[in-house]
Amino acid sequence: MLGCYDFCGHYEWTFAWLDDKGGHDLVREYWDEAIHRDSQTHARDLIMGQGIEGMKKYWSHTLDHEAAGFAITHGEDVIRIDMLECPSKGFLIRNGLAQYPDYCDHCMGWIGPLMKEAGFVIDHEHNHRGRCWWEMRSRENLAPASALGELAGANDVRLRDDWKSGPIDHYEQSTDADDKQCQAAVTSPCSHHPQADSPP
Amino acid sequence: MTSDPNPLPYTDTKPVGASDFYMAINATFRFIHRRFGMEGLRQYWTDLGARYFSPVSAKWRAGGSSAIAAHWRAFFAAEPGAEVEVQESADCVVVEVKTCPAIKHLRDNQREIIPAFCQHCYFINEAIAAPAGFTARVTGGNGSCRQTFHPGDARVPAQDLNNIKEATSC
Repeated sequence: MLGCYDFCGHYEWTFAWLDDKGGHDLVREYWDEAIHRDSQTHARDLIMGQGIEGMKKYWSHTLDHEAAGFAITHGEDVIRIDMLECPSKGFLIRNGLAQYPDYCDHCMGWIGPLMKEAGFVIDHEHNHRGRCWWEMRSRENLAPASALGELAGANDVRLRDDWKSGPIDHYEQSTDADDKQCQAAVTSPCSHHPQADSPP
Repeated sequence: MTSDPNPLPYTDTKPVGASDFYMAINATFRFIHRRFGMEGLRQYWTDLGARYFSPVSAKWRAGGSSAIAAHWRAFFAAEPGAEVEVQESADCVVVEVKTCPAIKHLRDNQREIIPAFCQHCYFINEAIAAPAGFTARVTGGNGSCRQTFHPGDARVPAQDLNNIKEATSC
């Protein structure tokens, strides 16, 4: 039986299988069609119907369910999630599993299309070591991402000593997994397939 | 032979998995079935068993029936809502799944289950078992089933897929 205890392992393996069968476009279709529009319909219903309030409900429930280390804060027309210990990426790192070039892309891969339909844009960074942050605002709100600690205070993951321990992928007012820019060259788009993570 | 302190190939910090992931497993099967048909889905399951689960094959090859039984006891202990009995005899290992945690969770959440859902247990089990010198059979399904693991040279009938029930959402 395919279990949920090691779901993140076979989920990540599946990205590589799909990439081999149908290339990058098939992986993107999988994140949108299978995850966003099928698996995560409960998230979709909450967020399409209730906007930021729905996001608070969804992520509070699901991150608690997955035993994540996280903080959720919000201001006027913005919600911020600081992922201090991503259980999903953490599982892969601890078990030395890395078949797909950037596992972390899957979040933007399904959340991005959902936010686009719901009328939101995303500022986001992930460091490939189980830490990331997200800010969602209405697409009409052109405010930049918050400054260090401005929204999340001491929970701002960017204040952690190890935040820059891995290469950081950066998104600004995006809803597309392929919009990423690398830390080393924030003005240049990253390849869709950067070098695979290597477990520490 | 000393028992393996951790019969599972991958470990997590939480004692049981998050059951909402069964929704993603079901959705993944549906996506692959739509794109590649039934044969493509069976190939996915076989590849998953042979590659992702290759560390399981290695443990079963080294530890034999005891390792198979230990694997399933530990596996279902980490699956929320599972009710399973594992019996090991000289001839085979029998896994009686009284309550399949995946089918139960999908039904509890009113999800449409892909009819071929229960076939994945046969194709993945067989892909893990064959390199270890065993062969797998599945009967039943749709919420409860019986999974058996025999030595590869045992004279057991080939798997009849008609013996695996289609999964339904209620």
